[in-house]
Amino acid sequence: MAERYRVCTTAELLPGERKIVDAGGRSIGVFNVGGSYHALLNLCPHQRGPLCLGQVTGTMLPSPVGEFRYGLEGRIIRCPWHGWEFDLTTGKSVFKPDRVKLKVYPVTVEPACSGSQAANEPRVETFPVTVERRWIVVHV
Amino acid sequence: MGRPGSAKPTINTRGKRGRRLSLIDTDVHTQPRSWDDLKPYLPAGMRERGFPIPDTAGTGYANPIGVLRRDAFPPRGGPPGSCYRTLRQQLLDAYPIDYAILTGAEIVGIGTSADYYYAPVMAAAYNDWLIEAWLGEDPRLFGSLVIAPQNPGAAAREIRRLGGHPRIKQTIMTSASRIPYGNPFYHPIYEAAQECHLPVAIHPGHEGSGISGPPTSAGYPSSYFEKHTNISQSYMAQLVSLVSEGVFEKFPGLKFVCIEGGFGWVPHLMWRFDKNYKALRIQTPWLKRLPSETILEHVRFTSQPIEEPPRTSQLLELFEMMRADRVLMFASDYPHWDFDSPLAAFPKVPKELGERIFWRNAQELYGLDDPAPEIEERRDG
Repeated sequence: MAERYRVCTTAELLPGERKIVDAGGRSIGVFNVGGSYHALLNLCPHQRGPLCLGQVTGTMLPSPVGEFRYGLEGRIIRCPWHGWEFDLTTGKSVFKPDRVKLKVYPVTVEPACSGSQAANEPRVETFPVTVERRWIVVHV
Repeated sequence: MGRPGSAKPTINTRGKRGRRLSLIDTDVHTQPRSWDDLKPYLPAGMRERGFPIPDTAGTGYANPIGVLRRDAFPPRGGPPGSCYRTLRQQLLDAYPIDYAILTGAEIVGIGTSADYYYAPVMAAAYNDWLIEAWLGEDPRLFGSLVIAPQNPGAAAREIRRLGGHPRIKQTIMTSASRIPYGNPFYHPIYEAAQECHLPVAIHPGHEGSGISGPPTSAGYPSSYFEKHTNISQSYMAQLVSLVSEGVFEKFPGLKFVCIEGGFGWVPHLMWRFDKNYKALRIQTPWLKRLPSETILEHVRFTSQPIEEPPRTSQLLELFEMMRADRVLMFASDYPHWDFDSPLAAFPKVPKELGERIFWRNAQELYGLDDPAPEIEERRDG
């Protein structure tokens, strides 16, 4: 049974941003890729480098000899050790997608429960806002 | 996040005094926060010249993903390898490292400068800075004296000037040369190094920059990827030159270190070299024994970038073929992009072989003691 870990609110993780969280002793990177959320184990399968600290980028797509076709901007993460590239949305490596992959975790977005305030939390005067707060939750 | 180095090492063994031994890292890069910091070490009248160091980006070979680990930028600014606290946290304390040999970085490229008057001046300024800025910081750190081999006389003077410093353990120069390193032109360097009991190391990265030859024996490839893959070529050529031209016959106390040049090629080279020696030795009659025997006695290789064959067993076979128990020394290359983790780069190796690769080969080469008590405490505490 997967454990649920709250990452942050949707307002705190905008497209192109990442959060690295500790989920029960596991370091997990949660990424907003163009409005969808993806979670990866922060451990490169190569030499256990801190993959999620790498650059989020695009990559050169397969092309005929002598041509360069850039694509997948914002969907690729490159490990800061050794430069291996992975697709953030699938966890698959670019160089060998079926054999070399990252551990990925499901992510859901859930409404923030209005009654969640704890009894001992100080009450402050609040104002209605138009944006509804929603939690990003990773299931580990 | 979980620290990459937080797992228990599998390579502990015990020294002769019963102390726990862990590892010696033989290729660690440090650099100044800014080259301006080194200007005071330049002589009067030359300070404004700064540090014009040739690099391969100038030839067109820039690493497209950067040479420095992106997770290694110090929090207080400056490039990776410029901050002792970050280096200690990410390397020395993250892994069970007894000693680290600092090998410079860009500065090694002065050996490809056409200005053979100014290159040794930059080397001397850098060496004075290294001793002052780094070698007093931590009893685990030892330094490599950078020299400009295109001016062998000046290089030999630099070795004699600082080679006796207790925290200097070798001299280092670029693996990219204009003339192969066995040539008598360079022998004053080896004479001085032997006299000061310092191994001479070469480090790659400048193949194709400045006055060095083309980066591959086939000429100029188009990409950093190709150039970088072919670095082992310059190592093979340097090693064949050093042995053939009798450097180790002339300087029998000399040790030579091939840093970061790979090692999968070593068995091939030793076998081919011996085979040809049997037929062609009349061209080098000063060689008294098989080239492979000379290599095993005088030459050491560092492990990073570790070879990654499809099967682990193939790497273990390679270790046997190259006599890794005698010649291979662990290196991480921190903080460069192709850093090898002391805990994850190697497969499980037999205990005795592990002790040789991770500790004993480097300890014997550099004449290092078993860890001092304060290092033990620092690590255990």
